[in-house]
Amino acid sequence: MGKVIVITSGKGGVGKTTSTANLGTALAMIGKTVVVVDADVGLRNLDVVMGLESRVVYTSMDVIEKRCDLDKALVKDRRVEDLMLLAASQRNRKDDIKPEQMQEVCEKLKEEYDFVLVDSPAGIEQGFRNAAAGADEAIIITTPDVSAIRDADRIIGLLQHQGIDSINLIINRLSPTLVKKGNMISKNDVLDILNIDLLGVVPEDTGVIASTNRGVPLVHNDGSPGAEAYIRIARRMTGQRVPIPEMRDDNFFSNILNWFSRNK
Amino acid sequence: MENSIVKLRGYKDGLHLIINPKVSLPEIETAIHELLGEMNQPLAGTSIHIDMRPPIFTSEDLSNLETHLTEKYDLVVSGVNVFDEKNESPILAAPATHSISQSLAADNHPDLEHAQIVHQTIRSGQTTSCLAGSMIVYGDVNPGGEVVAAGDIIVLGTLRGNAHAGAHGRLTSVIIAMELVPLQLQIGTYVNRPPVGQKPRGYPEIARVGAEDIIIVEEFIKF
Repeated sequence: MGKVIVITSGKGGVGKTTSTANLGTALAMIGKTVVVVDADVGLRNLDVVMGLESRVVYTSMDVIEKRCDLDKALVKDRRVEDLMLLAASQRNRKDDIKPEQMQEVCEKLKEEYDFVLVDSPAGIEQGFRNAAAGADEAIIITTPDVSAIRDADRIIGLLQHQGIDSINLIINRLSPTLVKKGNMISKNDVLDILNIDLLGVVPEDTGVIASTNRGVPLVHNDGSPGAEAYIRIARRMTGQRVPIPEMRDDNFFSNILNWFSRNK
Repeated sequence: MENSIVKLRGYKDGLHLIINPKVSLPEIETAIHELLGEMNQPLAGTSIHIDMRPPIFTSEDLSNLETHLTEKYDLVVSGVNVFDEKNESPILAAPATHSISQSLAADNHPDLEHAQIVHQTIRSGQTTSCLAGSMIVYGDVNPGGEVVAAGDIIVLGTLRGNAHAGAHGRLTSVIIAMELVPLQLQIGTYVNRPPVGQKPRGYPEIARVGAEDIIIVEEFIKF
């Protein structure tokens, strides 16, 4: 029996879908069986980010309306063992699905897979409620800026109200250089406000844009700072003790950037 | 018609019963009877402040007077203010007075009969309220979160959101937090907004209504 984890944030554009794709892939690389579920009905993206768009035939809507079996709707990611995608319907709206129906799908999936990662849409309305309906745990994604943190705080309150106790935080797109200059909220300040356990910190990594556009999650490219962060987070999710490294900003490249910005 | 022993005046925060403390308690009670007997409107249930110049009554006399006002006229005494000799305006909740009105109110005031304790962080979009007494939060109040209480508000964490103490108009209510960096504070009908970009100071602070009817914030040392 696995567990259902909803990946959510409140605010849009902070990296929910990117994180779902990367964590799903990284968990599968470690040897876990994983399904990533797109809950963003009407605005689906997870299939695109994972490069599986052309192979989606059936969606969760087809499963719910009994047009096909659950197993048949799962798209297999051929690059790694035991990684499946359940896509969202693009033709429907978020209120076409009820929380109970989503919960039923998640219950069935966690009987067979170790991890069911549900990619939540932005917002706190029906789409979010559907995504969180079947969740045992939650991962909150936030970027270190006030609006994302405010929305994350709101979402944490709603999840706690729903009875989800295990809520962990990923701080995405942290730039140590900007924190040092005082232009970005630091990791500790974010934790101070949100007051939940930190699962990991993903540094700002320009490689994400290219990997998203190519449909190849970052974790397939060894060595990039973002990929390494996601792999560490995935290992923590499986119960391994992996320390969260303090970020350095004293590399050659950022120093050159600093030099240019100072002399503008 | 002018009564030299007791006067009734309406201020922004409600009715004030102004008492000449140089006469004995029975005389004051008779004067109150005459004054309130003349009123056409019944005052039952109204909250009232007691204002007086020094010499101040003993707390026993004060509580007898409060009991008298409560039992005979059904008035709610919401605070005791002491006029300064020189200054004609009442020093609301000035340090010397503050402790008197606190200890008296604790005995009689219905707003202070209960305290509600919350064992969680109040997050954005959440409101927690205690309209029958004071509120104690074992956690933070985050931006967008709100705590409302008829009495005092004590946050054993960082207050970053909104707090409204004395929600029924009790101006002696206070707001205390281990770190006080709120978006907005409200005591009774008074609102205070700290300067933008204020950083936590690293020590507990208390907010209360001070002289000139503004909310003042200072280091909290003890009651």
